[in-house]
Order: sequence, then structure tokens, then C-alpha cells
Amino acid sequence: MKAMTIKDVISVQRNRNQIMDEHTKREIRRAVLTAVAVPGYQVPFGSREMPVSRGWGSGGLQITVAVVGKESVLKVYDQGEDGGVNAANLRRLIRNSEGVKTTTDARKADVIQTRHRVPEDELQENQILVLQVPVPEPLREVERDMNELRRMHAEADYAKIWVSLYEDIVHNGVVMKTTGYPCLIDGRYIIATTPIPRWDVPKLHQAPFLALYGAGREKRIYAVPPYTDVEPLTFDDVPFQVEEVNAVCRSCGCSGMKTDGGEAGYLVELPQQDGSSQWVCSDTDWCNRQLNTYLPEDQDFKAGELW
Amino acid sequence: MDTPLLRICDLRKSFTLHAVDGRLIEGLNGVDLDIYEGEHVALAGTSGAGKSTLLRCIYRTYLSDSGSIEFNVGMGYELTALTDDQIADLREHEIGYVSQFLRAEPRRGVKDIVIKSALKEGIDEAVADEMAAAILTELNIDESLWGTYPTLLSGGEKQRVNLAAGIVVAPTLLLLDEPVSALDPRNREAVLQVIQRLVEGNTTVLSVFHDLDAMFRLADRVAVLSNGKVIDQGHPDVVINRSLETVAP
Amino acid sequence: MVNWSVQLQDLGCIYGPNDHASADETGPLFGTNVSETYDSVVACWDVNLHASPGEALGVIGESGSGKSTVMRCIAGDQKPTKGDLRLVSVEGGQRNIFEMDDSARRALRIDQLAVVYQDPSEGLDLKISAGGNIAERLTAAGWRNFKDIRDRATELLHRTEVPLNRMDDPVQTFSGGMRQRVQLAKALANKPPVLILDEPTTGLDASVAAGVLDLIRGLLDETGIAAVVVSHDFNVVEMLTRRCMVMHHGRTVEVGLTDQLLEDPQHPYSQKLVAAARG
Repeated sequence: MKAMTIKDVISVQRNRNQIMDEHTKREIRRAVLTAVAVPGYQVPFGSREMPVSRGWGSGGLQITVAVVGKESVLKVYDQGEDGGVNAANLRRLIRNSEGVKTTTDARKADVIQTRHRVPEDELQENQILVLQVPVPEPLREVERDMNELRRMHAEADYAKIWVSLYEDIVHNGVVMKTTGYPCLIDGRYIIATTPIPRWDVPKLHQAPFLALYGAGREKRIYAVPPYTDVEPLTFDDVPFQVEEVNAVCRSCGCSGMKTDGGEAGYLVELPQQDGSSQWVCSDTDWCNRQLNTYLPEDQDFKAGELW
Repeated sequence: MDTPLLRICDLRKSFTLHAVDGRLIEGLNGVDLDIYEGEHVALAGTSGAGKSTLLRCIYRTYLSDSGSIEFNVGMGYELTALTDDQIADLREHEIGYVSQFLRAEPRRGVKDIVIKSALKEGIDEAVADEMAAAILTELNIDESLWGTYPTLLSGGEKQRVNLAAGIVVAPTLLLLDEPVSALDPRNREAVLQVIQRLVEGNTTVLSVFHDLDAMFRLADRVAVLSNGKVIDQGHPDVVINRSLETVAP
Repeated sequence: MVNWSVQLQDLGCIYGPNDHASADETGPLFGTNVSETYDSVVACWDVNLHASPGEALGVIGESGSGKSTVMRCIAGDQKPTKGDLRLVSVEGGQRNIFEMDDSARRALRIDQLAVVYQDPSEGLDLKISAGGNIAERLTAAGWRNFKDIRDRATELLHRTEVPLNRMDDPVQTFSGGMRQRVQLAKALANKPPVLILDEPTTGLDASVAAGVLDLIRGLLDETGIAAVVVSHDFNVVEMLTRRCMVMHHGRTVEVGLTDQLLEDPQHPYSQKLVAAARG
């Protein structure tokens, strides 16, 4: 591959859909490398204006655009759905800007950008998960002062968050956090795994894939490299519990309880007209494959016009 | 034994009242006194003669101006030259001071105070408990009072509790400042017997009594102070009869 | 082998331009802490002290005496102009604590040095529970077992006579005397060898203060901690300490055994102070 020349850099973009210049991509990749080198440390970066507003995944978007190449296969989904408006929007932006191929199958993607979920599929070593993060600071609820926050991370002085866990258990019997559960990375930094459900947290521990977290509005990037310890904060004698529901998915029939022998998935509730509830898998693509009524392995999903 | 346990030489102490134009009040004007191990020496003299002052100079509650106080225990100490820390150490184990005034004590039961005293000496808890019970009984402090806070006791009871705490593990040298002044005859008797027992057990006692009978009974020797000096000393029978006018309070 | 738990030498703290020469025109002989020439305040100068295990040292003085500055310098809340502070529990007393960087000094406050402040809100987070305040110290020291943390907090609150049915109430719902007890419990959480008490009962009602003093005295006896008790109140010092130093205009004017200082004060200022206190 030939080296970039000055001409390449300053020449008018031939692709008017390109949403990020090459310099910015390098800057973001540098931030990502720093983040990977110091697992869990929030690296400040120059967050750019993106075609999505702040709070709509601009951080994740910037990371994804910086790390994909023309050959990459991309999956973008939101709360388990590939077809939602926001996911579709982001997927289109990235595809038009970088020319990547897209898929809904997590097993086939090189880069997966997600909001609110980690795929039910077990990801492999060559895959990158990019998570959209609204609030990167795990200590935000216990401390507001920025200088004090920096000091706490620098000195690994996390007493305040331990106290908030203690108070939760004392007053509520359990730790109340449902999403964004604080985790200790590589025994050193605490991160907010925001905003994935507790169900997904155990997937991060010693995982073979690279996880990158991007917060566009807060201008922070952090990372959990492959095979890194990710330990949800809890007391030795208060086991970390995931949300489990004693129900099955109405589509594929998988269980909402991890303890059962068979496949289990994170279920979301669909309240019915008569007041009862039905449950369905959050990860729609995975659910479809469980049914075995989905496309066979050798066929690709065909995109419609508005896809 | 030739060497006295306590040898006081030319001890002088005066008080400078800076607030009153630096007025000088004389306390001790050159006290010489030897006290031998196992003796009970009683100090006699009129009020203001310097008896309490002498005890306090030995205990270091007062800082003497000049003179020496040799304390021949272990390797021997010159008390006037020791640091605060060293004096504090000696006070823990070697030199005890019991006055009629109870030092500020926390809300702690009478027995606990005595037990604590014993624990400080390294006595085992169970043994300390027994010793505390024994000495309190000996001093006529009824068992029903053993859990009471000293602030709720009468003057006489406080005095005996003070004594109990001071002697549950007898120090080498015991300084007693008016140990029976507030006591009725029965309790006074109990205290005197306890002091007698101590001396027989080889505790050295230097005491201040305004009680002739007690002095007569208990002391091996009486030292008479007047105007800050020892003017006479000897066996109680001899000395007391010799200078009754100066001795009577 | 040293026999002290904490030793302070040659402490000096100047507010304002910190030319050491300003010390030459301040102090009891000049009747002021303020240096006109250098436009600075010599809060304290040439202060030395030490406390041994199980011993409480009193630092007594009126407002402006410098005693609070001494306390804050030892605690790490104030940077001194000069001085040498050592703890026997830190490198056997070989290290000058004042030369340590901020984060190392903060780490000392976990289990080497504890402070009980005059105002409990300085030492406590009022929004969290009594147990939670203690849990904060324990988790900072690495405790990770919920039951152990709760048991230890219960034990400490029981020892400091805080009603256990209030253990989970936020401290801001507690009275002043109760807050002080919680502060004490928290200070003792990780069994520090050295404890600093700053006016521990000032502002409390007399009967409440008496109870807190009793408690402190009992705790000091039990734990073998070396304590430095800063106060303007002779009753406090008499109750708690074995030795005492008197400060005036930033300098130490007298040091001695507490009973000696109270009954035979030598320095004119000490005599005045004792006379005023004893009436």
C-alpha cells in the first residue's frame, strides 16, 4: 500500500459522503491505542462534529469510522435490533463514508457497533465491539468535581463507589444498578459498562474480542483489550446477579434464565392488551437463527432500498 | 542495706507567682532525708510546712528548683534529671501517689478502675479481677458499689477507691497524702491495716498524716518538717513526745 | 528502635511570604504572630512534640496560639514551611512524612494516621449512613466482604455507644455528640497507631461532652494508640493526657507532665492560663 502524500491529504474529498478526514481517523486511532495500552483508562480525545447529534452515538460512530477499512464487514444495532431507525441511520452513514459491507449476523462482522447490548453470540479474537457510551464516568453519581474524579482514578481511590454499593445493599438489599454496572478492569481502573444490561457483563470477562467504548459528548474513549479481567464490583459475599426472567422467548423458545441447561438469552417484555406479558429475545438476529427458519449460512441478507 | 531506696539531698522548691508581681513563695528550703527499703516514714509538721510539697516533688507533680532525689531502684535514677517520659514510666510501676483527691476518671465502675490499674502492670485479666475484688473488700467497699461510677460516691468512698487503685499492685515506693482524712473510724481502721500489710510486704511508704495515732501505729520513723526543712526525725515514740507542739495540726 | 509513635521536629508554618527571618520578630516575646516587615503570619515556629504508644499528648493554647496549625500540618491538611514529621509505622520512623507526595500522604490517612475534627462534618460524609462512613474507611483499606464490613462497623459503633438501630441512618440526622461518636468510630476503623483529636468536645453540651471524653479516654486505654489532643480546655487535657505542651503566639512556652503543668506551671503565660481555667 503506498504511503499517503500531502496531495492525498489536502486534495478535495472525492467521496462527498466521507464524514471523517484521514487525520482525524489517525487521531482517534491514537486515542484508541492509548486506551488499549491502559485498559479502563478514559482517554480524552478531540471529539468531532458528526452527522448525528450528541447523545445519539457520535462517540461510537467516530471510533467505528476510524477503525474500519474498505474490506471490513460491519454490523450496527441498537438494543438488539438491527432494523431500528438509529441503527439503520448509523449503518448507512458509515457504509456510504467508508464503503464497508454490512451484515446483521454478529458472527460474520469484523466490527460491531452497538448500543445497549453485547451480542448473544460468542465473539472471536478478530472481532471488535464498539459500544456507544452516554456517561463514561462510573463515579459520576458519587462525585461531581472533575479534579477530584481525576485524582480518584489516578490514585485508585474508589472508596466512594464501594460505599454507594454498601448503602444500596443496606437500604435495598441489593445493588440497584441495572445498566452501566461499574466494573474493575485488569484490577486497576473502574469503568462504566454503560449502558449494557447486567446480563451482558459476564461476557466481557477474559473475552477474546476487543471492546472499545466511545463517548462523543463527553469526549472520552476507553478500551478493554482481549483476555482482560472484567470484574463487576461487588462484595465477596454478595454475588453479582444478572437479570433473569422465568419465561421463554415467544419466537425462538429460548429461556430467560441462565441457569437452565439450554440456550438462554436476554428477554424484553411485551405487555399484552389483556394485561399479561409476553417475552421476546432482545437480540433479534440471534433469535431468528435460533429458530432455524433464518437464511442458510451461505446466503447473504439482501438489503432493500431503504435499508 | 546501706543504700537508701530514696535519698533526698538539699531539696529546694519555691513558687513564683508571675501574676502577682513575681512574688516568691517558699516551699522547701533544703530538705535532707533518707528512706530505706521496706520502711514506713511519716512526715509530720504544721500545715504549710512542706509535707505535701515534698511528696509532690518526689512524684514530679512539682518541679523542684535544686537539690537531688536519688531513687535507687534498678540502675538508680536521679529523679530531678529525668525527662517527662522517664518519670511517666517510673510512675507506671515504681512510684505510686495516692491523694485524697480522685483524678478525673471516666464513667467506669469502681472495680473496673482497680482492674485497669492491675492490667497496666501486666497482670492477667482473671487474676486482676480477683485482686481487685480482694482489695476492695479489704477496704470495706461493698460489692454493691463495684459497678458504680466514682462520681457518685462519698468522699470517703472515693478516697478508698483511690487507694485501692494505687495499691492493688503495690509499687516499689508509695507516696500517701492524707489517706485517712475523710474516713470514719471503721474505714480508717481498714485502711491502716492495709497500709500495714503493704509495709510488711516490703513496700516502702512515705506518708503524710494528720493523724497522730496512725503515725504512732504504722510508722517506723517520723520526719518532722518545719518551714521547708527536716528539723527532727526518729522513732515515732521518741519524736512525737519530743515536739508535740510542732506536730499537732 | 525508637520508642515514640509520632515525632514532630522543628515545625514551622508561615502564611504569606515565607521568609524564615519573619520568625525572628514574632512569638511570645513580641506578643504577636504577625511579622510587619515581611507581611506574613508566623502561625507556628520551632514546634517539637512526640507521643508514645498508649500515651496522649495535649497541645493547649488559646485562639491564635498555633495549635490548630500544628494539628493540620500533622494531619496533612496544611503544608508546613519547614519541619520533620515521622511515624514509627512508616519505615520505622526513618522517613520525613512532610517530604512525601500528596497521594502518599493521603494513603497514610487510611490506616496510619487518623483525625477527629472539631466539626464532625469535616470528617464525615453527612449524606451517608453511620455504617457507610465506616465502610468508606474499610473499603479504602481493601475490605471486600459485606458481612465483615458490617460486623466491624457494628462493633465500632457499639464501642462508641452509637445506638445500633441508627446505624443505617444518614449522619445528618444525628445530633452533634452522636456525630462525634461516629467520627471516632470511623477514625478507629483501620486501627491506626496515631490519632489526632482536634477540640473533640468543643461545641457540645457539657453532659454530652463528658460522655464523649469518657469514651475517648476508655478507647485510648484499650487500644494503645498514641494520641495528640489539641484543646483550649484544661478539663479535656486533664482527662485525656499524660503530658502536655502550652502554645502561645505560635511557639511552645512550656512542656511537662499534665499534672505538673496544672499544679506547678512555670511559665508566666501557663500560670495565667491555668489560673483562669481553675478559677
